[in-house]
Amino acid sequence: MQIEKLRSEHKLLTEFKYDLQPIEKGYANRTLYINLSENHIESQPVTQFMKDKFVGGKGFGLYKLWHAVKPETRWQDPENEIIIAPGPVAGITQYPGTGKSLVVSISPLTDMIIDSNVGGYVGPFLKFSGWDALEIQGKAEKDVIIVIDGNDGTVKIEEAPLEAVDGHVLGEQLTEMYAKDEDDMRNVSVVTAGTAAENTLIGLLNFTFYDTRKKVARLKQAGRGGIGTVFRDKKVKGIVIRYAGTHGNMNNVDDIAPINKAGITIHKQIDKLDDVQCRMRQVGTANIVEVMDAYDLLPTHNYQYGSHKDTVKIDSHTFIKNYLSQNSPDGCWYGCSLSCAKAAEGFKLESGPYKGDKVCVDGPEYETAAGCGSNIGVFDAHAILELNFYCDTYGIDTISFGTLTAFVMECYERGIITKEQTGGLELTFGNKWAAYELIHQMSRGEGFGKIAGLGIRKMKDVFVNEFGADRDFLNDIGMEQKGLEYSEYMSKESLAQQGGYGLTNKGPQHDEAWLIFMDMVNNQIPSFEDKAEALHYFPMFRTWFGLCGFCKLPWNDTTPESNATADEPAKMPEHVQNYVNIFNGVTGLSIDRDELIRQSERVYNFQRIFNIRMGKGLRVHDATPYRSMGPVTKEEYLSREERYDGQLKDIIGLDPTEMSLEDKMAATRKHREAQYEKLTDAVYKRRGWTPNGVPTVEKLSDLGMDLPELVEVINKHL
Amino acid sequence: MIQVNNNPFPYDNNMTISDILKKKKYMDHMIVVRINGNHVRPEEYNTKVVKDGDDVKVIHLFGGG
Amino acid sequence: MKVLKVAVEKCISCGACEEKCSTLFKKENDREKSCIQINPKNGGRVINVCNQCGRCIDVCPPEALKRDASGIVRLDAKRCVGCLICVGFCPTSAMRQHDDYLVPFKCISCGQCVNVCEQGALVL
Repeated sequence: MQIEKLRSEHKLLTEFKYDLQPIEKGYANRTLYINLSENHIESQPVTQFMKDKFVGGKGFGLYKLWHAVKPETRWQDPENEIIIAPGPVAGITQYPGTGKSLVVSISPLTDMIIDSNVGGYVGPFLKFSGWDALEIQGKAEKDVIIVIDGNDGTVKIEEAPLEAVDGHVLGEQLTEMYAKDEDDMRNVSVVTAGTAAENTLIGLLNFTFYDTRKKVARLKQAGRGGIGTVFRDKKVKGIVIRYAGTHGNMNNVDDIAPINKAGITIHKQIDKLDDVQCRMRQVGTANIVEVMDAYDLLPTHNYQYGSHKDTVKIDSHTFIKNYLSQNSPDGCWYGCSLSCAKAAEGFKLESGPYKGDKVCVDGPEYETAAGCGSNIGVFDAHAILELNFYCDTYGIDTISFGTLTAFVMECYERGIITKEQTGGLELTFGNKWAAYELIHQMSRGEGFGKIAGLGIRKMKDVFVNEFGADRDFLNDIGMEQKGLEYSEYMSKESLAQQGGYGLTNKGPQHDEAWLIFMDMVNNQIPSFEDKAEALHYFPMFRTWFGLCGFCKLPWNDTTPESNATADEPAKMPEHVQNYVNIFNGVTGLSIDRDELIRQSERVYNFQRIFNIRMGKGLRVHDATPYRSMGPVTKEEYLSREERYDGQLKDIIGLDPTEMSLEDKMAATRKHREAQYEKLTDAVYKRRGWTPNGVPTVEKLSDLGMDLPELVEVINKHL
Repeated sequence: MIQVNNNPFPYDNNMTISDILKKKKYMDHMIVVRINGNHVRPEEYNTKVVKDGDDVKVIHLFGGG
Repeated sequence: MKVLKVAVEKCISCGACEEKCSTLFKKENDREKSCIQINPKNGGRVINVCNQCGRCIDVCPPEALKRDASGIVRLDAKRCVGCLICVGFCPTSAMRQHDDYLVPFKCISCGQCVNVCEQGALVL
């Protein structure tokens, strides 16, 4: 449809004009509040208190959300918010991975706080436009778009009835509509959801950046937790942020020299070494597909197995050779030489409403290649890209889609659900056409897709209550925790990773800790105390990226030569020092590596207490499904019999030759469940929490976070 | 007997680093090898012989997710 | 395309080219601000200057680097976002960066250094 025709049907509901102000040492010093129920827009100050305690990014999002909602607020209540916040470092251009935003909301899946990170140009352009955060509350009557022009100093809410909802179409429409000319398109960034976000609880947000070489609006995602579902529930169709004039010091940093130095050093490192390290510039995060398979860690058939003979059909070489455009600067914010946002151009869709179209597919990320590939038995590179494309444009999370589909397929194969109940969909492992139809049903809001789109936790209720399934077995094989689907790593043989998934704030997402190799392969954290230390340090360290606007990948998906002889190479000490230097260079502060951790601890504990305030966030919520910890079925046990028998003998002190398979499985389970409890005890202690997982007043005082509203919540549990 | 990543591992005469990597089914990609705390360069994996009782660390520099 | 060619055996490290370049383009006599740099090496010297290979063109995210009509690689300072990827990825370290500027700089084969080289070590 013609852009002018789309625009002609817009109806301006309200316009807000503001003064343009320069950013000071990384901060715009105000946040933008929009209430869609009242069509009200206002500027709110960023206080020194906010900077001291919360830094920015996720910290600001959580702080604002706490004050916007009540303990009983849930995702569909108008007072729920979506808050997008970049962070003080976001928008610098000299170092790779500095364009990230954190998005927070109350999740439809978990009924508590979700936080999700995302690249693209939206975060930096939001800050350049004058805002440290965008806070959206209330609900519009009809579909609206929010348009921020950072050069004009205007914010508008407009009804936009004719624009598409699906991300790849809407992204193009709004980019073209709000760019002054073709050259200006790179100055427009867009937030979208998609049609499936309206009919499922697993909706995501797309954040675009315009690729001037491929001439297409690229899509990055805030994937986890269903924020896209909240977006569409508020009747927001899209957000447009336009800013022209990006240069090398938008943040008016305190001292640019250390930033330049760190940037040039790591650019040279990536140029020299990426080809023989992770090959991010060639294939992105999917470089690890074959590595996971080699170490028996690639989630296969709903996490039953860790490898498959057909993995070669979906490995990184297959994607590079047949699909991914090469030698293109694919950084999702300026300055990213790691350039991992790969794309398959001219990809011809074989299903769905866009069948036959040649599109640009952003991906696959590793999570998608595993989740929509090996985990559902689809060892077909084309199918992975097709599912990737439709998840993105329909606005749903590839991780949740993959993991829930894997669950459905195992249930189908075991006869727990029947073809009659699935409306004719033969959801066997590897049946890509059934997976395609499932996703298209999610877009249309009909059929079994509507049930699947509820997510695993609610699906279990449906299967038990309506189809007579066995609750205990579903709890064992349903890979969700806290209501959120697991991401695509096998934690079964790594106690540390079980904790890395289970002892998180938001649910089993690996952004807090990825410890599988440190634990299982390198055996660097053998004792409970070692694991507890890792489950303190890494979540706190990684949380910090989301306070500042950093992407995690340049931290450890490129390795400096100094690492070969460094102490604690898993921490990437040279890069950690880069981050400290850059943060101080931007803000003028003088943090060190210890203060970095404390900044995170403040926000991390705040989020834990926020969850407790909402009725979650306690030890009982940190329990994990047995499939994440050990072999649920006989086939699983037998597939690793030598390892499991060996452990019975060497670790548990039983003689496997004298035991039946059932007894071996029961003994293994009892041991592993006890191990997880012991780990939980050790981790809570290290984090300064009670055995029930509640932060103590001493811990909060030590961090300077003994705020009255926090103490009030924890006192009820101490 | 030698130690590989803090676990006992059977020792063969004239065992090289490459032999250990093969037996443990480790990829030779993105790793740092140390014998008794001393760094071994990748060019030496084929030739560096491990002695009985050595403490070998094969650290996978694997960022992962 | 007229590229600056160097005859390093004739160079005596007098610094005249560096002075001419930095004074002309950056208004200061500072060899750190010169597009051409003579660096000591192994008792002798290396003349480091852009050879117009064009590798930087493909790595530049905002497409700020392009060949002009004469084939010389030129940087459009208005499009440049200061990411310094070109500096990091230059195969000869000839894309220059200085903390006083947000935008990198490089030899554009203007030939002024050729004029001041009394040893004939530089030729366009």
